[in-house]
Amino acid sequence: MKKLVGVLVLLLVAATASFGQVVTNEWQIPFLNALTGAIASIGEYLHWGANYAAEEINAAGGIAGKPVKIIPVDVALDPQKGSVEMARIVKDTLVALGPVPEPVIMAAMPIAVENGMMSITATTSYEYAAPYLPWTLSWFPPTEDRLATLIAAYLNQFNDIKTVVQFVEPMGPWPGMAKGHSKAIADKKLKEVKVDVPIDAVSFGPIVVRAMAQKPDAIILACNAEKAAKIIKELRGLGWKKMNHILVFSSADTPELYTTSPKDVEGVQIYNYTNDDLDTPRWNAFKKAYMADHKGTQVPSLAPNYYDAVYMIKEAIEKTGVTGDPKKLKEERKKIADYLQNVKGFKGLLFEWDNVNGVAMTKPTYIFEIRNGRKNLVLEVKPGL
Amino acid sequence: MSLSIYYFLAITAVNILMTWAIYLPYRVAHLHFITIANMAISGYLAGFLVMSLKLPFFWALLIGFAVGGIIGYIVSLFIGDAPTFAVVIVGFTFIYITRTVIENLPAVGGTMGMFGLPNIGNSPAAHRYIILAILYGLVLLVGFLIHRFDSSRLGKAASAVFVDKDLATSLGVDIKKVGQLLQVFSCLVAGGTGVLYGFIYKSFHLDFFTFHLVGVFMTTIFVGGYTTLWGSLLMAPVLYGLPLLFPKEIQSWRMVIYGVILILILVLKPEGFITRKFVYNIGIRLSRKRGKI
Repeated sequence: MKKLVGVLVLLLVAATASFGQVVTNEWQIPFLNALTGAIASIGEYLHWGANYAAEEINAAGGIAGKPVKIIPVDVALDPQKGSVEMARIVKDTLVALGPVPEPVIMAAMPIAVENGMMSITATTSYEYAAPYLPWTLSWFPPTEDRLATLIAAYLNQFNDIKTVVQFVEPMGPWPGMAKGHSKAIADKKLKEVKVDVPIDAVSFGPIVVRAMAQKPDAIILACNAEKAAKIIKELRGLGWKKMNHILVFSSADTPELYTTSPKDVEGVQIYNYTNDDLDTPRWNAFKKAYMADHKGTQVPSLAPNYYDAVYMIKEAIEKTGVTGDPKKLKEERKKIADYLQNVKGFKGLLFEWDNVNGVAMTKPTYIFEIRNGRKNLVLEVKPGL
Repeated sequence: MSLSIYYFLAITAVNILMTWAIYLPYRVAHLHFITIANMAISGYLAGFLVMSLKLPFFWALLIGFAVGGIIGYIVSLFIGDAPTFAVVIVGFTFIYITRTVIENLPAVGGTMGMFGLPNIGNSPAAHRYIILAILYGLVLLVGFLIHRFDSSRLGKAASAVFVDKDLATSLGVDIKKVGQLLQVFSCLVAGGTGVLYGFIYKSFHLDFFTFHLVGVFMTTIFVGGYTTLWGSLLMAPVLYGLPLLFPKEIQSWRMVIYGVILILILVLKPEGFITRKFVYNIGIRLSRKRGKI
């Protein structure tokens, strides 16, 4: 019994232990990320992006002359772990990255807000970031408006569309994204038929037959990559010919889309926020380094997000004269948060953008067509156009 | 009180209560995972009542308890005396159904979840103290009730059902009624705990109530010991706090470490750390000490 009491005391001490004092000769930025569990592969490349930025910055002299270090904090997919880790971090951290993913954001961000610490959630949709402004940033504008503009541009390419079938998987923000698609369809006075894709579905014949019975002219897929690939395969099997009349949403732009049934996705269109065809020295170096560290695989669309977030923190620290002095922690946290809310002309890895009240409002979106397993740019869609 | 202490204590209390909610029906060999669904149902309902209908938190909490109990009662009418396997299947099915229903209810945020639950009390600090007071009040109350149950005739009847249902029936035990009683009580506890769980985070998301919780609670019961309530009480903070002690380098191995601990315990100490014999021996020692005085 005495031993057990000892263990309990030890655990309490561990729980209260400081995450890491602010070291004034080094900027330490904790990154609450899913490094284990079901989305560990995503967590790995998000961390890679942040770390790559830190290496670049350090090679160029650091932030205000001091090196920066990204501290990985694994929260897996676990809100319990996320809240405890955030509670440890807020004690003495100037600014943090993450959390990833959404359930952990919801459990941990209220702690950052209550303690007035900026924690940048750079991969989630506006709806998950907005409740925590100004203590976070939304990397994207409100989903519904942003996607309505994009889908309108997609539909404008064709003049033979009267009925659109949209396949929707009820996962996190995806139904909200589907709503944005629907808005554009309704605005153009087209008929829309929604088909639910169950999360645990493994065969798609019946739902595709049901969809085809509506005689659709275009298909929008708002489901995960593997399911999207399988649905496209079924559509082809039922005689679908106009491949560019199928649009896959951004969250399905992962390797599974291209590897599940490579021939079947040829000619399909897909939208995303990064343009692989961009040719700038900075992007090319990033791409080369990523591919070298990942056995030649393409850069996932979210990989640059935390790279940009680290540079944004650098800009905030340097422009506001933040010193990292633990005695000024509260005041300097606020300085960083205030600065980041309305950054103008931020030079990101792929494009330049403005934050308006904490929301990235001027980022473009791209529509591609898949040819020979690669994405080829078809359209660049700017917000509000 | 530091924030990390608060979260550690609050989540530990939730884990203790929920592990007991599974421990109790297991006294009659029922692995009653419907409790996880009950957490979600009562939690979301309370969130809706507080956020949309502006009902005071304490009323929402009471309704959360009641709804948990009512669902537990209705289900127990059908599975009060069902075999272990059937109860497990019903529990898993219920979790799936609950998730699907919540996903399709925009009033509670659907797949997005529910944000911005208000503070109970006038400030975030008051909120934390109230949550902790309720949680540990519940731990004391539920622990006391389970302790009384374990040493009562009903508890002994439950033990007989666990060992052999036919034998228990021949001894005059109404196995359905005992099963129903335990299921209803565990669902009631789970309902209230679900409400408090969301109010710790001030939000609800369906992924707060996943099968991951089944793993956490099962590990706590089987490592702590499934024959007494003390195993869960002692193991909940240890197992939850253990990863906090791991160095960063082995953080990613924590599920493997959990798995190895579970396998070792099942092989070396199948009844878990705290067995009835262990509790009995402690009782004897304590009474001897009292005798000396």
